[in-house]
Parts: sequence; structure tokens; C-alpha cells
Amino acid sequence: MTLTPSEGGVSVTARDFSTNMGGLCQKGWTSAEVLSVGDRIITPLLRGASGALEPTSWEQALAFIAQRVQLLQTTYGVDSIGVFGGGGLTNEKAYQLGKFTRTVLRSRHIDYNGRFCMSSAAAAANRAFGIDRGLPFPLADAGSADAILLLGSNVADTMPPLVQHLARVRDRGGLLVVDPRRSATAALTADGAGVHLQPLPGTDLTLLLGLLHLVIAEGHADQAYLEARVTGWDDVRRSVALWWPERVADITGVAEPVLRRAVEVLAAAAPARGGRGAMVLSGRGVEQHTDGTDTVTAAINLALALGLPGRPASGYGCLTGQGNGQGGREHGQKADQLPGYRSIEDPAAREHVASVWGVDPATLPGKGVPAVQLLDKLGTEIRALFVHGTNLLVSAPDALAVRARVEALDLLVVCDFVPSETALLADVVLPVTQWAEEEGTMTSLEGRILRRRKAIDPPGQARSELSILADLARALGSTVRFQTAPAEVFDELARASAGGVADYSGLSHALLDEEVAGFHWPVPVGSTGSPRIFGRRFGHADGRARIVPVSPGSPHDDLRPEAPLYLVTGRVLAQYQSGAQTRRVPALGKSAPAAFVELHPALAGRYGIEDGDDVRVTSVRGSAVARARITSAIRPDTVFMPFHWSGAGMANAVTNSATDPISGMPEFKVCAVDIARVPAELLEEDVHELAR
Amino acid sequence: MSSPAERVLVVGAGMVGHRFVDELVRADRVGRFEIELIGQETYEPYNRILLSEVVAGRADLKALSLPLPDSERVQFRRGVAAVELDLAGRRVLLDDGTATPYDRLVLATGARAFVPPIEGLERAPRHVHVLRTLDDCRNIAARAMNAKHAVVLGAGLLGLEAACGLRRRGVPVTVIDVDDHVMATQLDGAPARMLAGRLRDLGVGVITSSSIAEVINAYDEIVAVRLADGRLLAADLMVVSCGVRADIRLAADAGLAVDRGILVDADQTTACAAVHAIGDCAQGLEPMTGLLAPGWRQAERLVAVMRGSTVEIAADAPRTPVREQVRLKATGVDLVTMGVRASQAGDDDRLVTLTDSRARRHVDLVIRDDTLVGVTCLGAPEISAALSVAFERRTPLPVDPLTMLVPEGRTEEPASPVRMPGATTVCRCSSVTKKDIVTAWEGGARTPDGVAAVTRAGTGCGGCREVVCGLVDWLNASDPDIATATGPPASRHVVARL
Ligand SMILES: Cc1cc2nc3c(=O)[nH]c(=O)nc-3n(C[C@H](O)[C@H](O)[C@H](O)COP(=O)(O)OP(=O)(O)OC[C@H]3O[C@@H](n4cnc5c(N)ncnc54)[C@H](O)[C@@H]3O)c2cc1C
Ligand code: SF4
Repeated sequence: MTLTPSEGGVSVTARDFSTNMGGLCQKGWTSAEVLSVGDRIITPLLRGASGALEPTSWEQALAFIAQRVQLLQTTYGVDSIGVFGGGGLTNEKAYQLGKFTRTVLRSRHIDYNGRFCMSSAAAAANRAFGIDRGLPFPLADAGSADAILLLGSNVADTMPPLVQHLARVRDRGGLLVVDPRRSATAALTADGAGVHLQPLPGTDLTLLLGLLHLVIAEGHADQAYLEARVTGWDDVRRSVALWWPERVADITGVAEPVLRRAVEVLAAAAPARGGRGAMVLSGRGVEQHTDGTDTVTAAINLALALGLPGRPASGYGCLTGQGNGQGGREHGQKADQLPGYRSIEDPAAREHVASVWGVDPATLPGKGVPAVQLLDKLGTEIRALFVHGTNLLVSAPDALAVRARVEALDLLVVCDFVPSETALLADVVLPVTQWAEEEGTMTSLEGRILRRRKAIDPPGQARSELSILADLARALGSTVRFQTAPAEVFDELARASAGGVADYSGLSHALLDEEVAGFHWPVPVGSTGSPRIFGRRFGHADGRARIVPVSPGSPHDDLRPEAPLYLVTGRVLAQYQSGAQTRRVPALGKSAPAAFVELHPALAGRYGIEDGDDVRVTSVRGSAVARARITSAIRPDTVFMPFHWSGAGMANAVTNSATDPISGMPEFKVCAVDIARVPAELLEEDVHELAR
Repeated sequence: MSSPAERVLVVGAGMVGHRFVDELVRADRVGRFEIELIGQETYEPYNRILLSEVVAGRADLKALSLPLPDSERVQFRRGVAAVELDLAGRRVLLDDGTATPYDRLVLATGARAFVPPIEGLERAPRHVHVLRTLDDCRNIAARAMNAKHAVVLGAGLLGLEAACGLRRRGVPVTVIDVDDHVMATQLDGAPARMLAGRLRDLGVGVITSSSIAEVINAYDEIVAVRLADGRLLAADLMVVSCGVRADIRLAADAGLAVDRGILVDADQTTACAAVHAIGDCAQGLEPMTGLLAPGWRQAERLVAVMRGSTVEIAADAPRTPVREQVRLKATGVDLVTMGVRASQAGDDDRLVTLTDSRARRHVDLVIRDDTLVGVTCLGAPEISAALSVAFERRTPLPVDPLTMLVPEGRTEEPASPVRMPGATTVCRCSSVTKKDIVTAWEGGARTPDGVAAVTRAGTGCGGCREVVCGLVDWLNASDPDIATATGPPASRHVVARL
């Protein structure tokens, strides 16, 4: 999109650009309004003697932080300071935050909210391909495919412009959508445009094993490809022998003819069988489970069996809705990584990055822990937390427990531009710039590095994290050099990433300004980027993909008589992440006025609930109350809540924080609950109690 | 120092023996057990259940092979049979002349197809087969290439799968059963008659209340069968599917207690504490069904017992005998049954039945205390999988069970823009409702582009453009005068349309 300064703000127009084909969803149209919301924080805030957050100067705020951090580190050690980053930060900020944590704080405890987003897909892609780029091909390739299997990704609501790319696929009857709800995306399969597979929540992995079984049983596996490009096929082939379609139908609730039809469509689209291309794309719906990494692996296995990755308009990819989820994880916000998607445990990587940073590699900390474990340590091992670009009090699972742990901290520093729930708990709130107010870069889900340009000046005293971190480093007595100009930070990032998996070394802001369509990484010096990365080889040293057998586990918090229903959570179009930004925009509030619980008419009837009634959703962890929205688009054994709201309607008070053993992804998507209608009189009291 | 590993010997590498070994290896992280698996069949372990799919030509053999036991943890010998148990010496004699010792012996010898005594069969004519092993399956599939008249004796689950499979390969086939209806173990008369109708639709002949009295051979080959009522049927391929008999010979010879199967207690243990039996060969507290699910449960239970967890067993104790979930695997027939059948429903149960003779559909639901306790579902694949889930997971049922018989997703929002309620979102990206569009039209926007300019509808992905055009056309058509006039229309017209 292009921003033009206008009276009292900026206005946004869609720029012709292949990811969204000139389309721009409402989040884009109204994003200029976020910049000028009334409660924008414009001065640093410090919690005063009265207990309230009071305006203060930058000097005072930073001095306060530095003094407390030094005290805590002397008492509890360097690892007592934690940093929680966000997938919405620019690459420059994400890089700077990682560098600051490793060289100034020297703490191993950094991670970011991207864990809640695509860490399962990242882990699975790394395991299979030796490289994790959300999409190893340009998104626009989707327009040339014959079939697309979308797993748990409601793109019509989360990435509407992508729907354009689906038009041709739909014309060919090739849109396959796996979702327990008949979501807006699933509805796109109607009228012969494709097939909707509506499994019981928590059975996606079983479903995928069933599809792979059918691929093999019907002789669709691409033997030549598997022999030439893949290691481990024999084990995987055997591992699905016990997932015959009738068994899978009875576990998932997806009818056997539907399973067969889906495989038929997908196989016919595979280039090896003369099709124009088939894609398997996964979203959070399948990833946010304790077996999320294995579920994505099963999706990748399906793609590999059909010989898709590296073929025209084909392959596996992961869709993310978060601004810079891809770039955010490539440059050092992840607990185990250094810039360029390098392992923090690889001596050569440590050596290289330390030399760019001008420090001794031995001083760099080792790897930390993933987000949910990091949050578990708050108030105990971790005494202070820096929060950047995330409202974790609302967006983390089992949010009530997280709140209690955050309250137990000795120091909470929040960088934000609006007073989010997390900011309101902070000891210090630092007002930061946001997207139209600064220069920077982002990396799209297709690994494409794009420029973000400054259009207006930040309001009040808001400053960029780049300079805040530089000043803090100095206040903490560090001699490590921190650039503050975004273009220079980028140059340093580029050098640090050189030779890494996500190599940006051939890029600069100037170069990106010339080429608005951006470059796909890896872009080593002299390269023009790599839109499609699997044509000849995969990322593992031998160039082959690894296909790994997986087997389903049941949800960590499974159905039982006291909790006979599944709760699934997700987003609705007009809200973004935890909603701290979007809940403040009036035009958006109109389309999604309050938290709601979606339930099937049959279920509503059983519980005596009518449309618009207040419904309490209870798990062993907590409960939330929201308005009933009755729709046959959902399974009768499942209720749905969006996760954007805080307060009484906070879905994450109910969700489970159990995590995937491989990726650390929490099991947001499914837990066992019971529901009840709340009589109107009771509610007010309850709201008070919940709000404490 | 840890104590030496316990030697576990498993005889029979079929569906249940294989599963047992897999579970035990998974559960035993510390290498407490040293495992040996002996299997008589020469093949790698395979999924027996899918043999009917192979007969039908619906599954590639590649889809059948099971994971090989972890070679580091399990010594696996195939093509070797156990011939004698030496309980006193704690060893098993094998048909290759060797003996192998054990601390704990697990018998998973399964079952063999039962072949009733029929005149003419004693000469072992060619092209008469049972269907139990991969070899049987290959023989049947090979003969099906040029068979012209096949008969299947026994209209149980397996017999019908074989018959439908042969039919799918283009072989004319007749199934014969002594019961007065097909699948008598699982079905009441009404659904069974509907099923027989469906089979006949598919070209499978069904003869009930009869049986084969004689197999007529010529030159050692089957040429016809004579039914009990004297009728003669030409037959050049016969599949005998008359149930199974547990393979108990080893146990019986060794003096272990046997009845129809090897007798075991709730722990799957025989009278000898070091010997267990699981799967089709075992006879415990549960009824012997010849189905896989109970065998898998027994394997899991035995692993739990061996890990010393008694708690789990109590919780897992066999439920009151219910009909196991059974699904017919046959092209063109969707049938699933589980739990209480209609004829067994009590006075306090709620029995809901749907029959649709033309579509060959029959559904029985038995509901007890608001829980689904029985399902028979024929000819309704759109709902059968959902019913299985509701039965297995015991999810809350609708107040009116009839709604369970209507496939989900058939109650679409009204598709026509005219019937759409005013609050319906037309353009998702810009959150433009039908009402917003009518208001824009009211304000003078008479073309889709005009409406887009005012509301932004359809300016993003364009997915809604058709609906916007439809709405504008409808509004224009509804009042041609107003549509061509320049001024805003009388608003009551518009109100009436919302
Ligand atoms: C075509 C077909 C379709 C079926 N479909 C279904 C279905 O849809 N649903 C369902 O629930 N069930 C079905 N069944 C039944 C299911 O296959 C059995 O319940 C299951 O195989 C039982 O497992 P088991 O390990 O106890 O016995 P088996 O699978 O029979 O395995 C026993 C093994 O032990 C070996 N063995 C025996 N004696 C010795 C010895 N002395 N030494 C060494 N090895 C020995 C045998 O060779 C055999 O390999 C089907 C069966 C068939 C044949
Ligand atoms: S892009 Fe909207 S049609 Fe698609 S949803 Fe957005 S403008 Fe409509």
C-alpha cells in the first residue's frame, strides 16, 4: 500500500502488487486510523508513588530501567531479565532486540509471540526441508494451480486479498478446505468450487494420515520423485497402513467419499500426473495443537508423496496472518537463533555474528526457552521483562495464569503505542513509533523483503525502539555499538545474516527502494533473490527432503463427561491479533462489536440458549462469557470463540497452555469445555469478579 | 547395575501381535524388555483388514505393509512357526528345529477361516478359497481375472466385502447365507433387507435361508454348486466366508485351558502366569467378535499390565458387551453399525428410525439418557461418520434427534441477494452489509461502480462483486421509474425491502 500524508493524518491507497493483486482488506483501509487514535501514548510513563502510571521524561524512564536491571542482574544473575518480542516489529527492530538481549543484557531469555503463530510450521519445515520460509514460492503461483488444500486457515477472513488467487482454483473445482467450521473460506468451496472437510477438532493429523493412505492405496505416490529427492519414504509409507479411510472417517467425522474425493482432486492436480499444480497450505488451525509440528509434518508428507515441492505451482507452504512473522523470526528474536536464521549453538555462527557485533563469541549466551516456558518463569527465574510489540496478557494461552505471573515480576517494561492490557500493568511504558512513522523493512510470508517507508512524524515524544535500545545500552554501561538509523541497522543486519539460511547480504534500503516488488531471500551479494527455492534441491546438506513418520496424539485437554464439547479459538476478519490496535478503530468496532460464542442450533437447543444470550464457556482453567451467535456453520460438538477480546469475553482465560514438545507452540486451538446460559442478572456481578 | 532384561516372546505377527510389540517398545524407554516376534507368514507384517480392498482392486499392496518392528529393539523372524510350547522349560520349539526361550510368552496366533463340511470339498478342488491371508487374497484376485460366476458362502461382513469386491472387478457374483437375512450378527431384519436391495442394485445376487450342499467339480476344478433346496448355480470361483475359529492348537497341546479360544483373565493371562493370549485367539471377559478393536485394546491392556500399572486396568475394564463399531468396506455401500440395535432397545430408550426404500437408506438411532448408545446407518455416508463420532465421543445430542439425520451444511444462508437479510455482510473486507448497499443506492448510486465508490464494496478481492451487481440489478429492476430518475427514491420502498 502507499501512504500519502493528508490533513490530520495519512490516507491509504492500494498499490498494485502481486501478493494482494491491488486488493486491500479493511484492516488496510483503516490502518491509517490506528495512527491517530485518541489514547495513543505520547510520553514515557512511570508508575509513581501513588501506584498510577504518570508521565515522565525519557532520561528518567531509561535511568530508572537501567538502575533496576543492574540491581536485578547483580542479585539474580544475567538470565533474570527476559525479553518478549513481537512478529509485528520491523526486521531492523527485531534484529536490534536480539542483539541487545545477547550483548547488553547477555540473557538467554528472549522469545516472541511468533511462537503462538507459526512455530510448528517452522519446526516441521526445518525438519523436512532444512529451511523454513513460510512459502518457498511466490503466493501468486497459487493462481496457476489446479488444486489447493487449505488446512485450518481461514484466509477469507484473515488474508482476504488472497481469495483472488483462489479464483482460478475454484473455477477448476480444486479448493479443498479443512476446517471444523464452515468458515468464510470453507464456504468458498460451495457450488462445485471444491470440497469442505469438516473434522472433529483435534483430528487433523488423523485426517492427513488418512489422505496419505489413500494416495498410496490408489497408486498416486510419485515414486520417481520420492526416489530422486526424498529420504525416508519407506517408513512413512508403512506408517499409514493402519489409517484406512473407513477408520479415519469414524474418528474424524469426515465421510469416506469426501476423503476419496479430496485425494482424487489433489492427485489429478499434481504435475507428475499431468496437472497444472497442487499446493498444500497450512494455517494456525492445524498448527496450534500439542501435535502441531507433527500435523504440519503430515501435511508436508502428503505434498512430498505427490511429488509437489519444487514443482511448478506446487508445494507446501504455511500461511501466517502476522505482519512480520517471517522476518521477526529470522534475525534473533527466537530463543535459539542468531541473525540469518542461524543456530545460536553453532560455533561458526556465533563466531561470525560476534565479529559483526564486535564482541567475544564466548560472551554470547546459549539458547533460551520458547515463549510459553519463558512466561512460566516470570516472577521466579525471570524477575524483569521487556515486552515489545505484543499484548501478551490477552494473546497468551491460559491468560489468567499469565497475568498472575506478570504481576509477580519486579520490573515490567512495555514498549507500545496504545495502553494495552499489558502496558497498563507495567512499571514503565515507553511510547514507540509505529509503521507509517518510521523507515524499515518487513519480510512477507513468501520470504520477500519489502520496504516500509516513513510517511509522517511520530506524535509527541514517541521514539523508535532502535534509538531506545541504543540509549539503554549506553545507560547500562555497554560499549557495544548500536546504530540508530534504520538503513544502517539494516546494513549491519545484512552483514550479520551473510552466509546464513536467510541471507540478506545482497540488500540495502537503497536497493529495496528501487525494486518495490522486493526480493525473496536468500539474497547473497550479487544475487537478485530466490522466488522459488526448491526447484533443484532442498536445504539439507545432501539436498534431499526428509520425510518423517508421525502418529496422532489426542488433545492434551480431551473430552470427558464434565467437559463434553471442544472449544476452538480463532480470529475474525475485522480484528487483528489481541485487538489492542484494532479494537480502538471505530469503523472496525462496528463490524465485530463484542466477543461472541459460535454454536450450532442443535447444541443451543440442548442447552436452552438463544441467539444473543450470554453464554459461559468453562474449562478447568477458567471461564469466559460472551454473546451466543447461533449458526449451522459449526459442528454441533464444537464451540468457537474469537480471541481478540479481554475482560469477561477473553477466550484465552479458557484455553490450554500445554505445548508442542518440538516447537513450543501452545494448544490454543482445542480444549474441552462445558457451556451454560448465563441469566442476565448474574452477569454484571460476574464481570466485576472477573475483572477483579 | 540394572537387572537383566526380561525376554518377551510373541508368537504370531498379525494385526494384534504387531500392535502389541509396537506399544511395548514405545512404553519401554529403558530397555527393560528384550523382545522376539515370531510369525508364520513369510510376508512382512501387513494390514489384514485391507485384504478385501485388494480383492476389490481398490488398494495397492504397497498400502498394506505395516511398519517393521524397530530392529534394534525387536528380533523379528518371519516364515517361522511355533510348533510346541514347553511351559516347564519356558521355551518354544520352532518348525526350523530350533527352540527359543522366554520369561514371558504372548500368544497372538489369531484365527483361521472356518470351512464347514460340504460334500465335494474333501477333494480340495481348485478355485475354492477362504479369505484370511495375503496368499488367499492373491489367489482370489488372480482367479477373478477370468472367473465368470463367483459364489460367496456366508453373507457376514467379510463375505459381503468379498462379494462387492469381486463385483467391482466385473465378476458376476452371488452370496449365499443360511440366515434369513444378511449380516445377521450385526443387523436386524429391516436394515438387512434394505442392504440386500442395495446389493442387488449393484449386481450382487443374494440368496438367504439357504446354503451350499455340494460343490460340484470337474477335473479338480469347481464348476457349480448345489444349494440345499436343490438349485444348481454355475460357479468357477468360490469364497468360503463362514466365520473363523481361534487358533488354539499350541495352547491346547500344552495343556492350557481352552474353550472356543485360549482362556484368559482380565489381565490377558492364562492359567500359567508367564503366558498371555491376545487378539482373535484369546477368550476373555469380552465376547469373541473376530474384530480388530478388541484385540488392540487387549494388546494395550497387556502392555499396561507388564508396566505394572493396575490402576489403568480398572479404569479400562471391558464395558458391558456392546456391538463393536463395524463398518462395511465396499464400494457403493455405506454401512456402519455400533452399540445397541433397534430390536434390543428397551422401553425407556428412544428409538428413532428412518427408512427410505428408494434410496436404500435405513437409519436406526437408539438414545438412552440423552446419550447415543446405538447406531445402524445404511446408505447415508454424509451422516454416518458424524454419528460414529457422536457415539464414540459421547458428545451432547440435539433435543430433536431427527436433526442428526440431516447432513450438516445443507441449511445455507439464503443465496439470492433478494432474500438476504439487511444485516448480511456482502463485502467481507470492507464490512459492507446489504443494508449499506441499499442505502448507497437510495443515495443515488445506480451502478455497481457507483455503489463501490460510496461503500468500497468489491474494491478488494472482488469476491463480492457478483452479489453487488445482483443487488443493484434487483434494486433497479424493482422500481424502473426510480432507477432512471435522478432524485433519491421514496425511502419507504427501501424499508419494505430490508
Ligand atoms: C479380509 C478381512 C477383512 C477384515 N475386516 C475387518 C474390519 O473391517 N474390522 C475389523 O475389526 N476386523 C476385520 N477383520 C478381522 C481382523 O483382521 C482380525 O480381527 C485381526 O486380524 C485379528 O488379529 P490377530 O493378530 O489376533 O490375528 P491375525 O491377524 O490372524 O494374526 C495371527 C498371526 O499369527 C500367525 N500364527 C498363527 N499360528 C502361529 C504359529 N504357531 N507360529 C507363528 N505364527 C503363527 C498367523 O500366521 C497370523 O499371521 C478382517 C479380516 C479379514 C481377513
Ligand atoms: S476484498 Fe472486498 S470483496 Fe473481497 S472481500 Fe475485500 S472488498 Fe470484498
